[in-house]
Amino acid sequence: MLGRALQLPIELTASVARGAGRRLGDLTLAGLDAVLASRVAEEAVDRALASRLAEHTVDRVFDQERLIDETVTRLLESDELWVLVDSIAKSPAVTEAIARQSVGFADQVAEGVRERSQRLDVRLEQAARRIARRPARPSPESP
Amino acid sequence: MTPKPTYEGLATRAIALALDAAAINVIALAVAGIVALVLSVLSVPDWLETVLIGVAGVLFFLWTIAYFATFWSTTGQTPGDRLMRIRVCDAEAGQPIGFGRSVLRLLYLTIAALPLLAGFLPVLFDERRRGLHDMLAGTVVVSAPEEPAVSPAVLSRVRIPPR
Repeated sequence: MLGRALQLPIELTASVARGAGRRLGDLTLAGLDAVLASRVAEEAVDRALASRLAEHTVDRVFDQERLIDETVTRLLESDELWVLVDSIAKSPAVTEAIARQSVGFADQVAEGVRERSQRLDVRLEQAARRIARRPARPSPESP
Repeated sequence: MTPKPTYEGLATRAIALALDAAAINVIALAVAGIVALVLSVLSVPDWLETVLIGVAGVLFFLWTIAYFATFWSTTGQTPGDRLMRIRVCDAEAGQPIGFGRSVLRLLYLTIAALPLLAGFLPVLFDERRRGLHDMLAGTVVVSAPEEPAVSPAVLSRVRIPPR
């Protein structure tokens, strides 16, 4: 009974809170847009890009790229990598997948040959019957 | 009700036969190559070489007969037929033919091929696409759709446990 009596005020409060929250979010986003569009923000970005810190950061990014290149080169030169690649290539899961794909490919090729040969069957027959002035062969579907 | 069979035409059958001929020759050549290599290290007299060539000819003849007759009389499909999804069967019963009849069919096939392949021309005109050898042996060549490795009835009973 008491629960039912309290239900209405609780729902009302929740609805008001939801509306207030949504409005607050909209206001915040609008404020952020205004700041980003202002000259102040533009100047701040220009200054940041012109500073030594930005230069230093870009240098560090390029240094890291060099580091990655070096790591990749060393990795490719290491015997362990090729041992790992070998063991993966010889693993039953990989060999089975390759075998299945090869069979699938062979099946696809055979299917293509079958379709073409059946079309050729019909054409040859039509040509032969035309030359011999015989009626066309009834299709398999007809009774 | 049994579905109406689809009879296969000249091109499909010719490709299947060519594939079988390739398989027969590749295997025969491989065996002949091994035997020739072995003989090359032994000093074999000329007369024995002649005899061996004759024996090889007879063996090739028997191998060809065995290849076709075995496949036609068991599954009705040679490897070439299997690739092209066709099957040789009795014209009335639709079942694979016996070994003796398979040998006869091969003989009739050779006869059909002798007059410049003219024996195969009836395939183009016959309602059931039969060649001379089919008519003489009482066979037809029908399409054989691929059957699933496990029948749908068995598959429906299999329950895969959840991971």
